[in-house]
Amino acid sequence: MRGLAKLAWSEFRLTLRDPMTAFWSLAFPALWFLLMVVVIGMPIPGFDYHGQGFASLVFPASISLVILSTSFIGVPIALTTYREAGVLRRLRVTPVKVTTLVAAYSLSQLAFTVVGVAVVTILAMGFFEVRILGSALAFVGVLFCAMVTFLALGSAIGSVARTTRTANIIIWSAFTPMLMLSELFMPLSLLPRWLQPIAKALPLTPVNTLLRDIVFGVALGDLWRFGVLGAWAVVSLVLTVRFFRWE
Amino acid sequence: MAQQTLALKCEHVVKRYGDLVAVNDVSLEIAVGEIFGLVGPNGAGKTTLIEMIESLRKPDSGSIRVLGLDPQAQSVELRERIGVQLQATSIQPNLKVKEAIGLFASLYRKSLLHPEELLETLSLADKANSRFRKLSGGQKQRVAIALALVNDPEILFFDEITTGLDPQARRAMWDLLREFHGRGKTVFLTTHYMEEAEALCDRVAVIDHGRIIALDTPANLVHNLKAGTKVLFRVTNRAVASAEFAKLPAVTRVEPKDDGFVLYTSDGNATLQELIRHADRQGLSLDAIRTETPNLDDVFLALTGREMRE
Ligand SMILES: Nc1ncnc2c1ncn2[C@@H]1O[C@H](COP(=O)(O)OP(=O)(O)OP(=O)(O)O)[C@@H](O)[C@H]1O
Ligand SMILES: [Mg+2]
Repeated sequence: MRGLAKLAWSEFRLTLRDPMTAFWSLAFPALWFLLMVVVIGMPIPGFDYHGQGFASLVFPASISLVILSTSFIGVPIALTTYREAGVLRRLRVTPVKVTTLVAAYSLSQLAFTVVGVAVVTILAMGFFEVRILGSALAFVGVLFCAMVTFLALGSAIGSVARTTRTANIIIWSAFTPMLMLSELFMPLSLLPRWLQPIAKALPLTPVNTLLRDIVFGVALGDLWRFGVLGAWAVVSLVLTVRFFRWE
Repeated sequence: MAQQTLALKCEHVVKRYGDLVAVNDVSLEIAVGEIFGLVGPNGAGKTTLIEMIESLRKPDSGSIRVLGLDPQAQSVELRERIGVQLQATSIQPNLKVKEAIGLFASLYRKSLLHPEELLETLSLADKANSRFRKLSGGQKQRVAIALALVNDPEILFFDEITTGLDPQARRAMWDLLREFHGRGKTVFLTTHYMEEAEALCDRVAVIDHGRIIALDTPANLVHNLKAGTKVLFRVTNRAVASAEFAKLPAVTRVEPKDDGFVLYTSDGNATLQELIRHADRQGLSLDAIRTETPNLDDVFLALTGREMRE
């Protein structure tokens, strides 16, 4: 893992130098939170908010968006852009290992995730009276598992797709169903019965559901949800190792 | 053991792309401390060969050993010990030059103690804080060279190192290579500039259609061509036939060229002196007289039937 820290740090600074990426990972989820809460602000009738406001439902969804934009979009785009520009090819004639490289790009995006989550959390808890009624430690734990899974998913997409074009196609064709089915907008119970198992198997659903349950202080009974995350992570890592190409 | 003084050994190396044989049965040996040049027209297979040696491409058959290592099976160890400049690559576009040097140095087990001194050597000091994408082509090329040197490699691989450099930067590059060579290191380069191969290389291989068609010291290559000297001139005051010069001493052939003549001769001095006397006697005014001794360009032309530079 020689060079890991330097690679991750330089990648982090490079991302900061690219304002569009910084916007998508940091500002977009916060803006989305504001849009939902302030402009739309419509509680779902009959939904149990456990004494909190609509904002407490939007909060976990905004965190999911941070994770999606930094990991699920950020990592594969970094990999394919560098591959297309020949940057990976140049790195290949150094002794750096694939795992070090992927880990470095993941670490850099992890840092952005942490900042993005902090921004949304400060906004939600500081200005919109959202409270985490469950264990804060569990909240951080779920966040961590979610980040690992989505960084792995991002690496897998950046490995399977050779070009940015292909990566974008994969990202957006997975993004849309996740937005619709992963409880970001509507509870699972409102989906048609046949769609529910599919929705539950998507990697974003457990993240969103677990975070929301912790915010509402509901007991975490459904530990199989961690299994869904773990399975996606393992499959992704296998795909990354199997399909990673330098050029 | 002779094996240990060899920096590189290729045996019957073949690389195919579909029906095209890009590298065709190449065998080579390069000694430690040698500057070795590979020249050949576009598409001859230079990049394919050098990149197989660098472990970037896998040969279809044949064997390659660099510093005794197999580039495919022992690639990581090999990459620790070689320095590579690729014909076509980039680094992270927004990375600053100074950062790039630091980053690449951190990837090696052993790197130069003060890699930033390379910026001075390569006249990049005033660009240390510029982003890579904002550099000129020649400056990017120099960054690529600096990156190839950060690990103080045992062998340097340069694929068209001086393409795009101005004459001054090219001379500076030659000096840098000679200095590197002076420390007992090995250099493998490809080039399109014959004067570069002639000035720098201990030995030169000419490659065409994937095959090595000549391999020797530049002096021997030129000598073996037996091309002789050329005397070139123009006659400015009246029309003359080329036959008039065929009788001059040592001339083997006369060719009209542009609006003048080329005399091929086995003795440049004798031909030149007699040419001037002959012109005096016949009242010819000669202009733009010069002699050309054959060089690698002629070797190249004779071997491949093509001019080096298009
Ligand atoms: N990845 C590839 N796939 C298919 N064909 C290739 C590939 N790389 C090279 N070739 C072909 O192999 C031949 C040799 O190419 P190569 O790049 O080695 O030439 P070169 O001597 O380096 O030329 P130049 O002087 O233009 O750099 C060319 O005909 C080229 O089209
Ligand atoms: Mg080439």
